[in-house]
Amino acid sequence: MAGSRRLQKELGDLKSCGVRAYENVECDETNLLNWSILLVPDKEPYNKGAFRVNIKFPVDYPFKPPQIIFATKIYHPNIDEEGKVCLPIIAPENWKPATRTEQVMMALMSLINEPEPSHPTRAEIAEEWVKDRKKFNKVAEEYTKKHAEKRPE
Amino acid sequence: MARNESTQQPGSSGSGGISSSAQQNGSLKPAKISIKVISATLKKPAECYVDLSTDLQTSETKKTSTKKKTDALEWGESFNLNVSESSNLTIRVMGKTRIFDDSCIGLHKLKISSLTRNEEGGLNTSEIVLQLSGKDKSAAKVGSIKVSFSGNIEKKRRSAGSATRRQAENHSVEASTSSSSNVPRRPPTAKRDTLDAVPLNTGTVAEEDLPSGWEMRFDQYGRKYYVDHTTKSTTWERPSTQPLPTGWEMRRDPRGRVYYVDHNTRTTTWQRPTVDMLEAHEQWQSGRDQAMHQWEQRFLLQQNSFTSSDDPLGPLPNGWEKRQDPQTARMYFVNHVNRTTQWEDPRTQGISDQPLPEGWEMRFTEQGVPFFIDHQTKTTTYNDPRTGKPVGPLGVAGVQSYEKNFRWKIAQFRYLCLSNSVPNHVKITVSRENLFEDSYQEIMRKNAVDLRRRLYIQFKGEEGLDYGGVAREWFFHLSHEVLNPMYCLFMYAGQNNYSLQINPASFVNPDHLKYFEYIGRFIAMALFHGKFIYSGFTMPFYKKMLNKKITLSDIEQVDTDFYKSLIFIKENNIDECDMMLYFVHYYELLGEVKTHELKEGGEDIPVNESNKNEYIDLLVEWRFNRGVEQQTRAFFTGFNSVFPLEWMQYFDERELELLLCGMQNVDVDDWQRNTVYRHYAAQSKQVSWFWTWVRSLDQEKRARLLQAHGFYWAPTFLH
Repeated sequence: MAGSRRLQKELGDLKSCGVRAYENVECDETNLLNWSILLVPDKEPYNKGAFRVNIKFPVDYPFKPPQIIFATKIYHPNIDEEGKVCLPIIAPENWKPATRTEQVMMALMSLINEPEPSHPTRAEIAEEWVKDRKKFNKVAEEYTKKHAEKRPE
Repeated sequence: MARNESTQQPGSSGSGGISSSAQQNGSLKPAKISIKVISATLKKPAECYVDLSTDLQTSETKKTSTKKKTDALEWGESFNLNVSESSNLTIRVMGKTRIFDDSCIGLHKLKISSLTRNEEGGLNTSEIVLQLSGKDKSAAKVGSIKVSFSGNIEKKRRSAGSATRRQAENHSVEASTSSSSNVPRRPPTAKRDTLDAVPLNTGTVAEEDLPSGWEMRFDQYGRKYYVDHTTKSTTWERPSTQPLPTGWEMRRDPRGRVYYVDHNTRTTTWQRPTVDMLEAHEQWQSGRDQAMHQWEQRFLLQQNSFTSSDDPLGPLPNGWEKRQDPQTARMYFVNHVNRTTQWEDPRTQGISDQPLPEGWEMRFTEQGVPFFIDHQTKTTTYNDPRTGKPVGPLGVAGVQSYEKNFRWKIAQFRYLCLSNSVPNHVKITVSRENLFEDSYQEIMRKNAVDLRRRLYIQFKGEEGLDYGGVAREWFFHLSHEVLNPMYCLFMYAGQNNYSLQINPASFVNPDHLKYFEYIGRFIAMALFHGKFIYSGFTMPFYKKMLNKKITLSDIEQVDTDFYKSLIFIKENNIDECDMMLYFVHYYELLGEVKTHELKEGGEDIPVNESNKNEYIDLLVEWRFNRGVEQQTRAFFTGFNSVFPLEWMQYFDERELELLLCGMQNVDVDDWQRNTVYRHYAAQSKQVSWFWTWVRSLDQEKRARLLQAHGFYWAPTFLH
């Protein structure tokens, strides 16, 4: 789909946004509907690696929200084993066509840094996060070292 | 996944690869097996229990009792599970927690096909130890569980060789929908292709293997499709090795298209039957009796209305009375003079069979007043040449000021039908078992105008005279059939909306357009002959029938999320949002992204605050028609061949619905009992005022009230 100027522009904007945490975007120019972003969190316990997420835009974007899937395993109360993340800003009931992918990425980064244990997709991790933060940080960091990709220079 | 090698059996002994018989029904029935959970050892003791589940649709999870942290983890509990050769079994050791949901300590997944069996399919009953892996597959082993199996499962006829070969093929296309979960789901290379998102979506439950001769490929957009090398054809739908339900068979028609035969009911369908579909079908079937009962109580106008002065046929002759059969709600006429009854209206007897004189034609003014043209003398008159009197009791002078209420419109429409009816009857003979197809053949092979003749419907084997009752029954059953999910022609508009819309996927039936034409004819017949159908269409569809513009609010019924985005655009200053919209929209058709310019050169015309309303209007119109234009056109073609749709134009869309579906007596007690209140309580005074007012209304007004606020047959919410 050659013509989606909106996606074209959003892609360019994101690449040049200057936010290290999510500026690393890859996209096959012939298919603007699928992006791959390398997330580089700065806060513990995820700052020992980089996480790849795939963003899939529906054909009638921006009338329907994009979907986000983690390709890299992550130890996080709100991201399940399939890599699905519960992010209110892109839930169909909240979606606004003016929402930009950069805002979605901002929301995603803040969820990574500040989990929401009240709506967990992985209850046992949420429980650990609430009751034993030290242990959670330790496991999550080990997990990051083991599974995450190398952080770009 | 750490699979215990001893439990694995390399395929089965059968030979010859997949034969065509593997697709045939009955060869792979679901079986009941028994699983005994004996004991478990965990690295870290925990309060826990074991649960068992399969990936069968109908599966339920079986749980053992919970053991305390200090107990020995010994259960010795047996469970029966329904499985088939191709199902996967998941055994999980679940930790009991106080605050959150119970968490999985370790699990083991195994394929039923990997269990050791003897020649007859009997399971090896000896105890086996299965290694448990952590919930995230990477974690070290967390312990083991001892179980045993018993029961009998029929084997799939396929060679071990073809199974592995197929697996190898799958890997070769880089689409590792791997069946064992210890294969990393992420390819080791750092550079990722966007295609990898696809397998990730598929979840942890391993997908079943493809049938032999099939291959999975990706198109340029990263979407999966499937190639059948045997027939050299492709499809978007994943071919299934799941057995067909009992009594079903797959066949190909002379053009090589696959269809399915249900030997139980001797019916065929283009859609591959699944358990879900059969359940939907059963539900649809079982709702029919109740639906019929409700339908029989529907009415269009209240009885007393027929004596009112707006009946265009004028008052009944002396000594006559109109009555309603309490059982069928059908009107009949009593002649008190000679104490006889009849169905026919005494006022139209003789008129209905008498066509207009040669060279005369009846037409309607814009106000819906009938007038007559004499083509020989090229003159027009309001007087009916057969009676010499103007149509309607009030005459021409009265009509202009006359309030055009619903009753008046119906009377006009009825009169129009009556005066355009064709003499003699048309005979339609169908069997109950094959109602949909038989009716299709009968309706489509007739000259469409002949369908205006008096209907004479006969069910095969139930020969009798049709005085209207049989026709009514036929309209009900056939309109109910149209809904049959198996035909894929229509679908419900939404979860809480039982009105029908054209299914954009109806093309799975290669002849779908012919069927829409048939349904168009059928709907026209229902209106022409004044019969009700079982279920109505969406409001936008009625609007389309009336050639009215589809508006923004109509889209809400069709696509709620889309509607919400449109509202956002309407209500916000889009120049400030920088939405980068153009007069173009993208959509998917058969897996391909298509561009639709909303107006010429639209791809280069940006949408801004000043032209956004035009954009919304164009988008709304286009969104409603998307994927159903051809079907809608075919429907209208069918309809128009019976009588012109223009005849309907003095009704609005709600009236058209009432005309087609009738009204139902509204049981206020039932309604009140089943009302969900938002922002109000059942005791609020506003609420009690409302109910008092509802009870003061007559049935017709109640029905119209329900229709106006949300959908008529659906649950109602009070805000």
